[in-house]
Amino acid sequence: MAAERLTAKPVATTPKVDRLAWLRDGRTWLRTILIVFIVFIFVFPIYFWFLASFKPFGLIFTLPPVFFFEPTFTWYSVVLGGVPYNKVMLELTGALTSTGGGLYYSVPYIIDSIIIATISTLLVVLVGTPAAYALSRFPMRRRHDVAFWILSTRMMPVVVAAMPFFLMYRALGWIDTYHGVVLVHTVINLPLAILLLKSFFDEVPFDLDEAAMVDGATRWQAFYKVIIYYVLPGLAATAILSFIFSWNEFLLTLTLTRTSVRTMPVAASTFDTATGGTEWGFLAALGTSAMVSVFIFVLFVQRHLVRGLTMGAVKG
Amino acid sequence: MQATRSHETRTRRRVPLWSPEAPLIWMAPAIILLLLYSIYPLIYNIWTSFHKFDPLVRDFVWVGGENWSTLFTDLRALNAVRVTFTYSAIALSVQLTLGLAIAMLLDAGVYGRGLWQSLLILPMVTPPAVVGLIFRLLEHSEYGVISWVLYSAGLIGRQEPLLGGTGQNALFGVLLADIWQWTPFCILILLAGLKALPTDPLEAAEVDGANAWQKFWHVKLPLLRNVLAVVILFRIIDLFRVFDYIYVMTSGGPGQRTETISYYAYQTYVFINWGYTATLGVAILVVIWLTAFLYTRIFHVEW
Amino acid sequence: MNEIDRQQRLWIAKQAEKVRKGRMTRREFIRAAAMAGFGITSMRYLTGCAAPQAPVPTPAQVAATAGPESAIEPTSETAKWLRDVGGQFRGTTLRVVSESTPPSRAISQIMQEEFIPLTGINVEWEQLPLDQVLAKISQDTAGGLGQNDIYYWDQAWIGRFVNDGVDPQEMMQKTELSMPNWNFDDFLPPLVENIATYKGKLAAIPYDIPIFIMMYRKDIFEELGLSVPTTMDEYLEVVRAIYEAKSGDGVYGTTAQWKSGHYALECNWTAWHWAHGASIFGADEVSNLNDERGIAAANYMLELGKYMPPGVTTWDWSGEGDSFAQGLAGIYISWGEFFPGFDDPSRSKIVGLAEAAPCPKEIALRTKAECGFDETPGISHQGGSSLAISRYSKNIDAAWIFLQWATSADITVRASILGGGASPTRRSTFTDPRTLEFNKVVPGTTRHFAVTLDAIENRMGTEPHHPAWAALSVDSFAVELGKMTTGQQDVKTTLDNMKAAADKAVAMFRQHQYA
Repeated sequence: MAAERLTAKPVATTPKVDRLAWLRDGRTWLRTILIVFIVFIFVFPIYFWFLASFKPFGLIFTLPPVFFFEPTFTWYSVVLGGVPYNKVMLELTGALTSTGGGLYYSVPYIIDSIIIATISTLLVVLVGTPAAYALSRFPMRRRHDVAFWILSTRMMPVVVAAMPFFLMYRALGWIDTYHGVVLVHTVINLPLAILLLKSFFDEVPFDLDEAAMVDGATRWQAFYKVIIYYVLPGLAATAILSFIFSWNEFLLTLTLTRTSVRTMPVAASTFDTATGGTEWGFLAALGTSAMVSVFIFVLFVQRHLVRGLTMGAVKG
Repeated sequence: MQATRSHETRTRRRVPLWSPEAPLIWMAPAIILLLLYSIYPLIYNIWTSFHKFDPLVRDFVWVGGENWSTLFTDLRALNAVRVTFTYSAIALSVQLTLGLAIAMLLDAGVYGRGLWQSLLILPMVTPPAVVGLIFRLLEHSEYGVISWVLYSAGLIGRQEPLLGGTGQNALFGVLLADIWQWTPFCILILLAGLKALPTDPLEAAEVDGANAWQKFWHVKLPLLRNVLAVVILFRIIDLFRVFDYIYVMTSGGPGQRTETISYYAYQTYVFINWGYTATLGVAILVVIWLTAFLYTRIFHVEW
Repeated sequence: MNEIDRQQRLWIAKQAEKVRKGRMTRREFIRAAAMAGFGITSMRYLTGCAAPQAPVPTPAQVAATAGPESAIEPTSETAKWLRDVGGQFRGTTLRVVSESTPPSRAISQIMQEEFIPLTGINVEWEQLPLDQVLAKISQDTAGGLGQNDIYYWDQAWIGRFVNDGVDPQEMMQKTELSMPNWNFDDFLPPLVENIATYKGKLAAIPYDIPIFIMMYRKDIFEELGLSVPTTMDEYLEVVRAIYEAKSGDGVYGTTAQWKSGHYALECNWTAWHWAHGASIFGADEVSNLNDERGIAAANYMLELGKYMPPGVTTWDWSGEGDSFAQGLAGIYISWGEFFPGFDDPSRSKIVGLAEAAPCPKEIALRTKAECGFDETPGISHQGGSSLAISRYSKNIDAAWIFLQWATSADITVRASILGGGASPTRRSTFTDPRTLEFNKVVPGTTRHFAVTLDAIENRMGTEPHHPAWAALSVDSFAVELGKMTTGQQDVKTTLDNMKAAADKAVAMFRQHQYA
């Protein structure tokens, strides 16, 4: 194939390349401008949220929106710095208003979210990879049906799955425990992971397994010493998606936890609809800090995400 | 979605069930977990759907098919189905179209692609519950930026804001959040699909003098079919179960204009009508299952 | 010294400097510190035990701030009781679930400083939005395993959960556990009757009492030469007048909590409904909410809707409170809980401009005897709540210690002030000097308390107490009303549907002999 491409390309495109180089360049610029505009639209809500986390409360309700103002670090000092809310309110207003209490300190929630998302992602990879390998490699008469069944485990509405999980967990004494939440997150992410990973494995020629085994490796060794290296980018992509889905999960975590385990989305929901009014500043600060921590992670791995997905999941 | 069949051509030999050459041992942990967490809730919910929770004895009592016959005459459920379908159809088509267009734009070559890609992932890492809150602020009838833009552009009237008024725009308001959050998911997967396209057919088309549109319509799109299938399948499953945005932004209102089946099920759950919650749950499951099943059949999705 | 501790001390030192420079009186400073809930550690530090650069208020001043019964005062009876009686349960863990309200937050803060250190009882307090609390308690009571020791009951749920709580009378008889000066008789009798009693029997301890009062913009009234409405007709006239004069400046006549499908909408409706002499149930326990009075009330409500911001149909009480604080409306009737926030310059554009007044007089009013299920009409809708000990708790005695402490007079006062002017459930709180200090334009003001007390004692409206009420009020009423307020359904259909739903729910329970 590579050879064909080498012979085909010069004939078709070489004459144009020189003459239209500037134009092509211009088109790339045009596309870049367009994409900047699109990205701006997608990033705007987050940018606005980010700004809100530095806005004094009074500026949140203004129209037209205010983009330049003297930032306040009040919300962050409470959410990340653990400064008591009462103290902040005293400094801000000279008296206590609205709410009291130290429940806004949110670093533990973010840490809980990170712990749960990380461990459940590891588990997803650990359990899902061999399953995907088997699904890809071994002769199976009902392969499609097995795959469809795996997918179908994702179809139960979360609202309805919550109750049996709650009962099961109460019987096991797993309510409000890390392993309980981790396991649930693992299971809800397994279907996507297995199906994605299966298609990555499908990309790797079957001869490789055979070759390794001819060389004396067992099936198991062929899997973890040889084949797995060919799917690493795909594995990374799967892991990232699992991480994101676990990070975002709300309803199950809410149902299965009380006070000792609390993830970011659940904590955020308590800042809302309290009788004292929605605490936009704290919400924005919590949301932004949580987002930043994941975004740094994403920034490092995004290359793997597309590259990984490219290699298999989605190939025709 | 890969239809590699080389393993089929090898001679089949009988291997012991527990041998490393048989799939069982490889898949056992995953299957056990999935069974525990999917079959148990399924059986539980089917069982519950024939019962009613009795608050006095604090237990379920058998009511036979009562919940199911309620379901088929329940106008509210019918409305919820309609809302869910409308919501899903609009969300899916917009997300796919936008996703494909932006993915092609990125694929065609832009400067600093890595940066744009990363930034586009941002909406995905924001929990839906928080996204709902962000959009509630952005769509505030008096102070929301999005509302302000739409008012200024004359697209909606002040009397009928996105969130509020008689609620005629409410579904659109919630959809904005969903589209904003999930278009990047479509972009990402479709971009990966585009990157992985074989080059030969495109070059052949170019030699034949096809223009850009023809190349897209007759070459790229058919080649992307399987990728699209993945995206559509996963989006359908999630869209049919949509809950978080509704919960945070509208509580299913105004009236029942944004009440999806999942949200309705949640309401029955909160108010301890658990038998009916299970009934609704099983019904949604069946609908999703059937849709996905038909989908894989019609579009020949084969694992 | 951890970081938080360090920050606290730095702050105290900074405030102390203000006192030295005369920018703050000593008294203000002490009150501020005490109110910040800094508790024993900081107090000890202030009294000179820890850091030399701190000012040294006399112990007498500290005592004056916290109140003679505060556990902050180590020699107080409360502290002694917590140590001696509470200490018997050292090591126990209590679990509380409640709505995330200002007083709850305040008490949980004081608890960290005082209750937990003194008794050695660990308390885990989960605070959530109201609907999630209901979901949690439903789950918990369903299996009867007692995941939580103390429940928070909205008054609308009392019929539903009454069998899941421990009888408070029983607990009060355990004199060896009684808190000194707890004084049950101090709770306002209308509250005991309406938020903590089911079918004539005490079921829980009153905890907080959000209640509807009328709030209006003094400046707008003066500008337009309006007088405070005292009848329903005047109220509507005023709303209309404000809208006509000020809508050009972006000020609407009134605002509301009309989020459809949300309890808030149902609360709002009851105020108009009761004020027109209608009720939800008749004395025969059959719903009569769709009689002509009910229809008149619903039309009145829709008429008001013409003068509101269009966003009201998606606002619950937070959205409504925000809108008034941002100066979007001239007058409204709703939770007094939001009033103290209007005097807070950091989040309100109407500091000092809001006034509270009793609600206009009802056109007609049915008596409790004319209604069913303990429903008590009155325009001042109350959304009180109570605390109860779970029948399934394994730590009933320890929970009772906590419950008494959390509802004691001293804590009620402090929760009320710390909670930014939250309405208290005890009579003594209204006259406590610490509460009266805030009777001026200041964030967390208590200058609406006279109106609140009047509302509780004379104008209070209470919803029916029935096991089906929690579901009926939200899942049926708030949804039907939502269709009505958004023009998707006419008044008659709406009220007919609501009546049908109410009768169906009652019949269902009667059939099972619950009610």
